[in-house]
Amino acid sequence: MTDALDLSTLNEDQRDALVRLIVTLADSKRLMGIRYSDWTLGAPSIETGVSMASMTQDEWGHARLLYAMLKTLDIDPGPFEYERTGDKFASVSALDREPLDWAAVVALMVLADGALSTMLRSVAQGTLEQARRRVPKMLAEEQYHMSMGSAWYRRLADSGGESRRLLAVATEDILPGLLAWVGVDDAAARRMVAIGILDSAADRLALYRDEVREFVALVGVDIDAVLGTSEWDEVRGRAVGRPDEEACERARGDRNRALLVE
Amino acid sequence: MREFVYDVFTRKERGDRLQHVGYVDAFDDETAKVYAWTTYSEEKWFEMCVVKRVNVLPVNRTDGLYVDAQESAHD
Repeated sequence: MTDALDLSTLNEDQRDALVRLIVTLADSKRLMGIRYSDWTLGAPSIETGVSMASMTQDEWGHARLLYAMLKTLDIDPGPFEYERTGDKFASVSALDREPLDWAAVVALMVLADGALSTMLRSVAQGTLEQARRRVPKMLAEEQYHMSMGSAWYRRLADSGGESRRLLAVATEDILPGLLAWVGVDDAAARRMVAIGILDSAADRLALYRDEVREFVALVGVDIDAVLGTSEWDEVRGRAVGRPDEEACERARGDRNRALLVE
Repeated sequence: MREFVYDVFTRKERGDRLQHVGYVDAFDDETAKVYAWTTYSEEKWFEMCVVKRVNVLPVNRTDGLYVDAQESAHD
């Protein structure tokens, strides 16, 4: 493994790029938790609901650890966690809207949570010391998410009819934004590659395509024919758009903090 | 959707007896493992296993959960 990066040597552009990477990962984890939490009640069985609750806890734990990595750059994570408006959120576009049916949740589990794991695996193998220490445990927990998502994806795809149709719709809807995110190759991303924090865009994208290929094929989607969205926001490092306001309010925990007594 | 009962067995420490802690309903082995791990998460288990109830063969009883499982498998 290559030597860990000395963060004090980063120039301003590199620091900004690293902040962008950490925040997009952390925001995505937090929003993922919110989308899972909405299905702790209403999932197809009690066992599935319990699993959704557990996965919610995992995602929020991961988000907290990722935001805390900003401290290594002498940045207080508080304002990022609690004070940003929705237009500043950098979560992946797949999480912008509440999934309205179970098939859409399953698509998020496999494709969006899977995209996050692809990026985290890359970061865990890179030169960022804190990621090397913290991310492997996250990825171990994510194995259960992928097992659950994979089993349900196959189940719905094999069932035919409306379930399969909804799964196909959700898959086609979220893939372009996820492909753009995993395969990001703008100036900030290239800075991360140059200092060994991320693998190359081509490598990340190839890995992600390999991981989801067999699943999306079940609903008639050829992953190699899907292109990443071209509407890209370089400041936040995600596709153009933003999460709905209610989700942002919950992500910040506005109502919870209103109850705190100093 | 057809679901099956999976019995859940755990041991807390290496060397402990494997004990039956409950069951989950699941449609396949993979979901059974996830459901068991997330449902029976009250301890930090050294080991957890699931067994599809229909694969448990009753030895001396002619009634009870495991006999019922055998019978329902042939329905």
